[in-house]
Amino acid sequence: MEAPPVTMMPVTGGTINMMEYLLQGSVLDQSLESLLHRLRGLCDNMEPETFLDHEMVFLLKGQQASPFVLRARRSMDKTGTPWHLRYLGQPEMGDKNRHALVRNCVDIATSENLTDFLMEMGFRMDHEFVAKGHVFRKGIMKIVVYKIFRILVPGNTDSIEPLSLSYLVELSVVAPAGQDIVSDDMRNFAEQLKPLVHLEKIDPKRLM
Amino acid sequence: MGVTCVSQMPVAEGKSVQQTVEILTRKLELLGAEKQGTFCVDCETYHTAASTMGNQGQAGKLMYVMHNSEYPLSCFALFENGPCLIADANFDVLMVKLKGFFQNAKANKIESRGTRYQYCDFLVKVGTVTMGPSARGISVEVEYCPCVVANDCWNLLMEFMQSFMGNHTPGNPSVFGNKHDNIYSPGDTMAQYMELFNKIRKQQQVPVAGIR
Repeated sequence: MEAPPVTMMPVTGGTINMMEYLLQGSVLDQSLESLLHRLRGLCDNMEPETFLDHEMVFLLKGQQASPFVLRARRSMDKTGTPWHLRYLGQPEMGDKNRHALVRNCVDIATSENLTDFLMEMGFRMDHEFVAKGHVFRKGIMKIVVYKIFRILVPGNTDSIEPLSLSYLVELSVVAPAGQDIVSDDMRNFAEQLKPLVHLEKIDPKRLM
Repeated sequence: MGVTCVSQMPVAEGKSVQQTVEILTRKLELLGAEKQGTFCVDCETYHTAASTMGNQGQAGKLMYVMHNSEYPLSCFALFENGPCLIADANFDVLMVKLKGFFQNAKANKIESRGTRYQYCDFLVKVGTVTMGPSARGISVEVEYCPCVVANDCWNLLMEFMQSFMGNHTPGNPSVFGNKHDNIYSPGDTMAQYMELFNKIRKQQQVPVAGIR
């Protein structure tokens, strides 16, 4: 039995703030194939990857005006993968010249009892949905083309219906704070997808 | 991880914590155990801040966030008698974001540090439990690596512990409870450490021999 590498101090999470840079757009169902075809050409050569995920959004209400939001996501088609817990901060305001939406993000892989644990912490589920689609990669950029499905019976992911007749397209990068050059690279890539899809910086607050 | 038993070793009469640790480690070395580096298990306490208590209508809960050097990339979060979440190291970053809802009771941080010994299929870790600057007790963790079912190896573990712990060998850990045939997991070890730390926190500053 070999000694595993043992450190003197337990390694605690790094305090580097990671930011998510995001551009979004959408395509109608009938345009999906041509978009996928172009993405296959532009993106890194890899096996076409599809996914089927179930995401639940949890809220923790406190005395503050806005509740704390956490997203718990699990894969429905790949067994044995950890659950993905995600925190997304408020979009950073400021630089109008910045091409992408920037917000703080914390990604955590967890064991399967995540929902029980969140409930124990005081979180309550606000809504859930199923996402089904394709994922591509180009360097550090991730391009996801997926359809959102509404879950008809809470907790039952077998009875679902599409929310719309289109696919959501997201171009994102997770990078340490301060790397604004990332948004330039994203904009350049987004140019190559026009006119099939127009990826833009969409402020979620303006939609509400 | 194999079936593990975590227990407290009382300080020998008339001796200090450090001296008792030395007596124990000498016994292990005489047995033939080999020193293999060091280990550290720590535990931080969070309690629900006043702002969320009104909504829950119940007393604030205590959440423990623990780390184990045996699993350097993981973080264990548990509630007493509740679920144990195993997450990656970014969970600590999330707790910083949640500081409006969960407050870190920094004075309650407790840890056990010491040497790792390997003896054939057993892994023994003898640690000094400290809270702040003061040493509060001694923890002994014994793991029988090849077996993951508690029922199958509890007797063997006990026999081995008796060879160097003598009368201070512990009884059946409550974590095994009713589920003797379940697969043992690292979460069970962390639950045992949590119980041990809670017990030590309640003890007086200078532990007396005989109290477990």
